[in-house]
Amino acid sequence: MPRNETISGLGLDEYKYGFVTEDKPVFKAVPGLSNDIVRQISHHKEEPEWMLEFRLKALEVYYSKPMPKWGGDLSRLEDTLDEIYFYLKPQDQMERSWDDVPQEIKDTFEKLGIPEAERKALAGVGAQYESEMVYHSLKEQWEEQGVIFESIEDGLARHPDLFRQYFSTIVPTHDNKFAALNSAVWSGGSFVYIPKGVKVEIPLQAYFRVNAERMGQFERTLIICEEGAEAHYIEGCTAPVYSTDSFHSGVIEIVVKKGARFRYTTIQNWSNNMYNLVTQRALVHEEAKMEWLDGNLGSKLTMKYPSCYLVGERAHGEILSIAYAGDGQHQDTGGKVIHAAPNTTSQITSKSISKGLGRSSYRGLCKVYDGAVGAKSNVECDALLLDERSRTDTYPYIEIDENTASIGHEATVSKVGDEQLFYLMSRGLDEAEAMAMIVRGFIEPVAKELPLEYAIELNRLIELEMEGSVG
Amino acid sequence: MTAGPAESTLAAADFDTLSGGLTEPEAIAVARAAAWARFTSLPWPTKKSEEWRYTDLTKIGFEALTPVVPAPATAEALSADVREVLGRSGERAGVVVLREGRVAHLELEPEVARSGVVLSSIRDAADRHPEVLRRALLEAQPGPAEEKLWALHLALLGGGYFLYVPRGVEMPAPIHAFHVVERAGTLSSAHSFVYGESGARAAVIDEFFSDDLDAETVSLHGATITGEGGAGIDYVALQRFGRGVKRFSTQHVVAGRDSRVVTFNVALGGDLSRADVTSRLDGPGSDSEMLALWFGDSDQHFDHHTLQHHAAPHAHSDLLFKGALTDAGSSVFRGLIRVDKGAQLTDAYQTNRNLLLSERSHASALPNLEIEADDVRCSHGATIGQVEDGQLFYLMSRGLTRRQAERLLVFGFFDEVLGRLPMEGVRARVREAIEEKIGL
Repeated sequence: MPRNETISGLGLDEYKYGFVTEDKPVFKAVPGLSNDIVRQISHHKEEPEWMLEFRLKALEVYYSKPMPKWGGDLSRLEDTLDEIYFYLKPQDQMERSWDDVPQEIKDTFEKLGIPEAERKALAGVGAQYESEMVYHSLKEQWEEQGVIFESIEDGLARHPDLFRQYFSTIVPTHDNKFAALNSAVWSGGSFVYIPKGVKVEIPLQAYFRVNAERMGQFERTLIICEEGAEAHYIEGCTAPVYSTDSFHSGVIEIVVKKGARFRYTTIQNWSNNMYNLVTQRALVHEEAKMEWLDGNLGSKLTMKYPSCYLVGERAHGEILSIAYAGDGQHQDTGGKVIHAAPNTTSQITSKSISKGLGRSSYRGLCKVYDGAVGAKSNVECDALLLDERSRTDTYPYIEIDENTASIGHEATVSKVGDEQLFYLMSRGLDEAEAMAMIVRGFIEPVAKELPLEYAIELNRLIELEMEGSVG
Repeated sequence: MTAGPAESTLAAADFDTLSGGLTEPEAIAVARAAAWARFTSLPWPTKKSEEWRYTDLTKIGFEALTPVVPAPATAEALSADVREVLGRSGERAGVVVLREGRVAHLELEPEVARSGVVLSSIRDAADRHPEVLRRALLEAQPGPAEEKLWALHLALLGGGYFLYVPRGVEMPAPIHAFHVVERAGTLSSAHSFVYGESGARAAVIDEFFSDDLDAETVSLHGATITGEGGAGIDYVALQRFGRGVKRFSTQHVVAGRDSRVVTFNVALGGDLSRADVTSRLDGPGSDSEMLALWFGDSDQHFDHHTLQHHAAPHAHSDLLFKGALTDAGSSVFRGLIRVDKGAQLTDAYQTNRNLLLSERSHASALPNLEIEADDVRCSHGATIGQVEDGQLFYLMSRGLTRRQAERLLVFGFFDEVLGRLPMEGVRARVREAIEEKIGL
């Protein structure tokens, strides 16, 4: 079988979740962006005055910043933004139990396997339908422990002081154009607080879904992990296929205090018309450990570089990243580690796969400030090209102001070797199976880090796509 | 006629003052006029452009510099310092001495000349080989961010030498060129033009030097190095300018089918030293080795940009750049491997290693890949670290001071690159210059 046919036989580019449910928004703003829209959002959410002011100021910052010229092609985004709905609210009430969730939304989740996941004691499921939390459950024991896992709106309403203390301190409004945009129109997302010493053993999960044509989603998540606490947050998202460009721009802020451990897992599988521009950042204090596990499979263009600011001695940051770029997709992803304290350590592992006309780029920063004595960082990037038309790039930035730092970066680019294929086929596999096995082996170092229960979702999004159409 | 600075500063200069009333070959006059027009129309790149992110061109007072008129060659005797270096650096096939770009001395072994090798000033070459010259300069046209400096370099074109090695001729020894900058406050430019026809073998060492100068002085340099099918060219640029000099070198290699071109940059001197080195793997089976070493102390700043451009299949490129910094020295390495569509079976490697010896030194590394073919083997690696305590301790326990031990380890660190230089004579010269700089 010719190679190209084999690859298309893998069905890597078939979008499995390309269904659309009829949407019935309760409130829908007019498309485009203006001060009035921002006021409407704030009014609708019954926010305190300071938040409205914060939003309006952020909008000014957004207007004042030029469109980034680096990374992916954003030239068509500006037109898109004029047509995007910056706010939708599907329901007025926050649902308390699964039975109350409307049937059409349930149908959508059903196809994603969320009910099973929930029933299998995946505990706190904050399911986000369109721009807001529509379903939210949390195990009682956590409530007793003082764990807060709520929608970001409830976080603001119920814990105003805690919220204000941390909100926008990790990703300031002026950080970048899209962080400013998110700050102006944010809606939905999670607010998580893990009290001192509390260990949350079952991952906190939130499912995201965008389901209205030309609608932008601007989720905002704020996570505070107190001293010695441990938790794992999982966010996954899929979206149906649309005819016009869609836009998602989230901001995730995380504080990991002394000796705490936090892991944040994202698997995004937006449909191939989505611009996905996300700012994810964690502030990591003394002896704390932060891990980002980032899987980017969908979208038209993703620009996302989870970052760890290591601000306390012996803080550790880790970023594991998988990117898959199929036809027409550009995954511009990677990670940033900023060493600002002595003996801080970090590790970035990136695996990318490009197929067809897909392009995957690793873009990363390793910065060691003067005084971050003994900082150690290691970056490894491997790229796999499945097609002669595919493209891969690697753009690491390494800036070192500290002479006792030890920094390494390595990257390799390869294709699936004929010898590897031949070997597997000589053992009785057909070419498609052999190819799928090699691809799975390639991503395995990152994939194995996912929690077992999350493999349900991961298997659907990666492994089934890899070999789903074999035979 | 001697080359004198033009009467005015760059700010006040127009094309006529830049030409100083000289008559020059038409090929050069036309190229210079076009470059000058381009130069005056372009803005200076700022730190906002990726190419100049770590080196601020706007801090250099270009406008106040006195541009040196690209004067015709003269035939001076060799100066004592040049004679001294030559006496210690082994065999050679020819010698060129350039003062602020002007060819002041040029000699080629008669036997080599008889084999058809041409060594001349760029001016003479423009009369006799205008097409070869024009093509090479066109080929070397850099990207938008480097265009301003390149246009300035071309506007001052006229200084520099031309080496042409005909088909199948193997030069027995290298050409040694000395680029001397003597006048503080000047802006001068020189070009090294090296062309090897099919199967030719050539080696060139460009040595740049000056005293410490008391005013900001800028030295521009361009090199175009072309190897036709099966040619073998070794090119070394050894930069040991004194303080006060800011140096910008743009080197462009085109490697034809089955040719092999080695470039080796050594940066030791100057306040600021920037080299943009491009290797274009133009023919199947071509091979490019790109090597560099730098040692920065005081507040020296070194900036190396490289491009390994694989435009043809079955080609190989290997880059190894190593730098060591002490005091408040700083360095940047920004390298790109670009593999075009269709450049299958590419083998491309890129390694940058940095040693930081002092608290105030800092280094940046940006090793980039852009791959558009699938059947390739590409990898890059970059490290930044310091000398190992264990090694330092061992040497100090044998009676060396910390400084001596450190410097010895730096030399060991450099040795991997030095060992890859093909010619013993050139290797010895480079080793000597490094020893002199780091004060072993």
